[in-house]
Amino acid sequence: MDELYLLRSLGYILIAAAVVVVLAGRLRIPSIVAYLAAGLFLGPVSGLLTVSEVIHLIAEVGIALLLFLVGLELSLDRIRDVGRVAVLAGIGQVVFTAAGGLLIAMVLGFTLMESVFLGIALTFSSTVVVVKLLDQKKELDSLYGRIAVGIFLVQDLVVIVALTFLAGLGDPDALSAAGLSLGLGRAFGGMALLLAAALLAARYVLPRVFAWVADSPEPLLIWSLCWCFIFVISAEVLGLSLEIGAFLAGISLAQLPYSHELQRRVHPLMNFFLAVFFVSLGVQMEFGGALEHAVPAIVLSLFVLLGNPFIFMFIITKTGYGRRTSFLTSVTVAQISEFSFIFAAMGLATGLIDDSILSLIGVIGVVTIAASSYMILYNHELYGVASRTGLLRIFSTAGEDPSPAASGSTGHVIVVGMNALGRRLVELLSERGETVIAVDTDPHKLEGLPGSAVIGSADHFAVLEEADLSRARLLISALQIEDTNILLTWWGRKLGVPVSIHAFDQSVVDDLEATGANHLIYSKNTGVQRIAAELRRVGVLD
Amino acid sequence: MAGLAILLAGAAVGLGLARWLKLPAIPLLIVAGVLLSLADVLPPAELLQDSLLLGLTFLVFLSGVELSPRRVGRQRRAALQVGAAQFFILGGLGLIASLALGFALAQAMYLALALSASSTLVVVRILRSRKQMFEPFGRLVIGVLLLQDLLVILLIPAVVRVPEGAVAAVTGLAAALALTGLALVTLRWITPLIVTRLSLDDEGTLLVALAILFAYLGLAELLNLPLVAGAFLAGVSLSAFPVSGIMRAQLNSLSDFFAALFFTALGGSLVLPSLAGLAQAGVLAAVVLLATPPLVTMVAERAGHSARSAIESGLLLAQTSEFSLIVGLQALAFGHIDQEIFSIIALITVATMILTPFISTDRATWRLMAFHPVRRGLHVREDLHDHVLLLGCGDNGMPLLETLVSAGHEVLVVDDDPAVIERLREGEVPAIRGDGADLEVLRAAGATRARLVISTMRRPQDHLALLDLVQGVPVVVRVFEPDDAAAISLRGGTPILYSHAAADEFVRWLAQADKVGLDRERRAHPR
Repeated sequence: MDELYLLRSLGYILIAAAVVVVLAGRLRIPSIVAYLAAGLFLGPVSGLLTVSEVIHLIAEVGIALLLFLVGLELSLDRIRDVGRVAVLAGIGQVVFTAAGGLLIAMVLGFTLMESVFLGIALTFSSTVVVVKLLDQKKELDSLYGRIAVGIFLVQDLVVIVALTFLAGLGDPDALSAAGLSLGLGRAFGGMALLLAAALLAARYVLPRVFAWVADSPEPLLIWSLCWCFIFVISAEVLGLSLEIGAFLAGISLAQLPYSHELQRRVHPLMNFFLAVFFVSLGVQMEFGGALEHAVPAIVLSLFVLLGNPFIFMFIITKTGYGRRTSFLTSVTVAQISEFSFIFAAMGLATGLIDDSILSLIGVIGVVTIAASSYMILYNHELYGVASRTGLLRIFSTAGEDPSPAASGSTGHVIVVGMNALGRRLVELLSERGETVIAVDTDPHKLEGLPGSAVIGSADHFAVLEEADLSRARLLISALQIEDTNILLTWWGRKLGVPVSIHAFDQSVVDDLEATGANHLIYSKNTGVQRIAAELRRVGVLD
Repeated sequence: MAGLAILLAGAAVGLGLARWLKLPAIPLLIVAGVLLSLADVLPPAELLQDSLLLGLTFLVFLSGVELSPRRVGRQRRAALQVGAAQFFILGGLGLIASLALGFALAQAMYLALALSASSTLVVVRILRSRKQMFEPFGRLVIGVLLLQDLLVILLIPAVVRVPEGAVAAVTGLAAALALTGLALVTLRWITPLIVTRLSLDDEGTLLVALAILFAYLGLAELLNLPLVAGAFLAGVSLSAFPVSGIMRAQLNSLSDFFAALFFTALGGSLVLPSLAGLAQAGVLAAVVLLATPPLVTMVAERAGHSARSAIESGLLLAQTSEFSLIVGLQALAFGHIDQEIFSIIALITVATMILTPFISTDRATWRLMAFHPVRRGLHVREDLHDHVLLLGCGDNGMPLLETLVSAGHEVLVVDDDPAVIERLREGEVPAIRGDGADLEVLRAAGATRARLVISTMRRPQDHLALLDLVQGVPVVVRVFEPDDAAAISLRGGTPILYSHAAADEFVRWLAQADKVGLDRERRAHPR
């Protein structure tokens, strides 16, 4: 194969994706849809790209990183709260959708075997799609986000169990009671083992180990990725999915004080790898026999888009959650998964179904993923419409929705860089009665300060967002890093927040002024003035 | 997946070792790769190859993004002189040494190119940890590094085509220049438009950056240029402010990730050189280590730097670059050098990078200062008694000097900046050119007989020699961090906390500004 195959493929993928994203920029289409469109263009339409092993590897790394991020975002306590509803809804939906899909397919005239495959394929919903969108909306940590993540993890386990049975279909020995319990025991035993490893490490090992590298970003990133991959591989060895492994690795690092900074650093990597995943998903679509199945495609897509949320609404309102939470959770599951394609391809390989079924599942996949991306992106608006029209009255519930979380700070002062100047400023400003948010990369430097703190590098806009920059009344940088100071000035100007920057040396003044800093802190000038004051005090000057 | 995990584990070990031993990361990542290959757990060759390729692309791309002349500040001229001198003279010495060691001309050229640049990644890391990025000498060193990166990238397209004859080499250079032109157009007009107008989210921003990278890689291939040229120029087209700042946040972790894989994979793909190869590597490393410091020192001093900062620059630049490895990889890909020569280049790089932290110390600088002619010309001011000794007097110190002089004090200034000394002498203020941390200079300035010493020197540790020397004389010292202030008080000095002074002044300003309204407040503070 061509030595530059990888670069060439990545080139096609990234350029096509960027073109679609830029063209669609103002339309605000979900990036997933853009990626799928780019993939459809590169694969089925133009045939420019074929998916090889290494692209597949990159796509898998993308999924692992995404779930690692989810784990980092959610600590175990947050997930435990939603355990019951996740188990009930997760299992309930699998049973309902599989049965419903099977029935509809039979009615539409498919053979029993084909109907079984269609039913199961429709059952999987895509963790990757949903989590990606929730992450984009920054709502992973909301109540409905957590329930959704919980449900997907339960479904992941259900899928593993289902696959154990399916493997049994081909191998009579494994179908015996002993074989089945061995398979199930392995899955649950492995899960318990990994979970225990994650929790023990989180408690006894990781805090100490990671504290040692906390102040240098490079080892921190590589070590945590390495930790993630250890779990992914262990999960594979134990017969679990890579998603579960990566998620548990993330969970075990979530309680570290710099987990947010770690998230911000893993995020661009994940975006890169995951773009490859989604585009390659589009590339692999085959629509050979799709036309002959136009009617089933529409009917089954509608079933996934409407039926799935319906059954979820039903189960979740019954477990005591409010209508809003139930609705938002339910909307997330209205799509089938990349795994459905793999599953269908397995069926094709064993000769149980023909390729028209595979392309039918492909069409349903593209339609439901695209449509549900919009549904998730505009879920709050959708809820508004549904509740105004009274559609949701049929679901009775005793549960209440959580009141909207208090929004962040306003009118506060942000101080970046906890060197002696930064720390002193935080102290003096707090004494003056200001609300202060201190920002630094090093957790140690933030210790013992009044007010609240954000750990992270101010080079990342997300850090400034976390400090509610747009609503701040003043942004101060005490840093002695020219590039960051100029960037901070620029962000401040852009958002209309006054900026005061430490001009630690004469050589940085011109650029800061040109960028539009409102005020400069001349530490050298004031320092020299204080020397003069000291000389006056001891009588050298009068 | 397993292969990737192994590579990542190797990188994790390398980075851990680097942190533990306080050494630069690159050589230890390479060593970790070598260890993987010795333990025979290397991932499949295709994965290594792909990691090398992707890593190289991102590494060069990011150095293009970092190519910002702003960082060099007013040191541009000096950086140009020092950078070019080091690049070409060291390259020349490398060529002669390689030919003398028995390499053929084609191979010697690559070795020379590999020796001629210093490592941006290593040096910037050291400068940052010592907080010297924005000292004049730090800016000089950064300018030198940026220039050398640029020169290497521009020369690779020419050198790889030398075997095809002079015309091909010139065509290569011309194509590289054409692509550079396109990069400048993109830099000036296109990327600012995309990044600031389209209001993309993080994901969109990252995609645009990567699409530009791969578009340039494609163009480089069309123009028959090496990939590194495309990657570097793609980076350059993103290097304008504010694009570079926004991009850097998105690209940094990608580059950290791929760079770690790159150096580990590189270590894994090395073959052990023969004994003769080891000896050759030793000789060439010695050329870098011995020739760079005096060469840089001389040129930097001619360009107006103080003796101490010129020596510091020289010591800091005495290593080969990550770009040397990239030169080697390109040559290997074109079949112009063999594995043995590539291993020699890697060996030189590992050795010189590991030695850098040990060479570029304060102690080494002072040892070399002893040989410096500047100190021989010191004129000891026996005549001075009860004077005020002012150590360091830049723009900010001038008002203080004037106040002291007009109050009738006899003031002697010590400063290492030739421009400052010249100005003072014109104003007929007695001044000594030299370093205030240098005991010889302090003795010549009659520090022990002064009625007061004021030190505004930049680095905290510089005050310590002074305090030990002038027991009994009151010493007022500039410091920034409270810890340093404590150390000064302990030795009997009076620390002035610039940080606290600035904070107090800031709060005063804020109280005033709040009266007029903060939004309307613009530059109320005097310059």
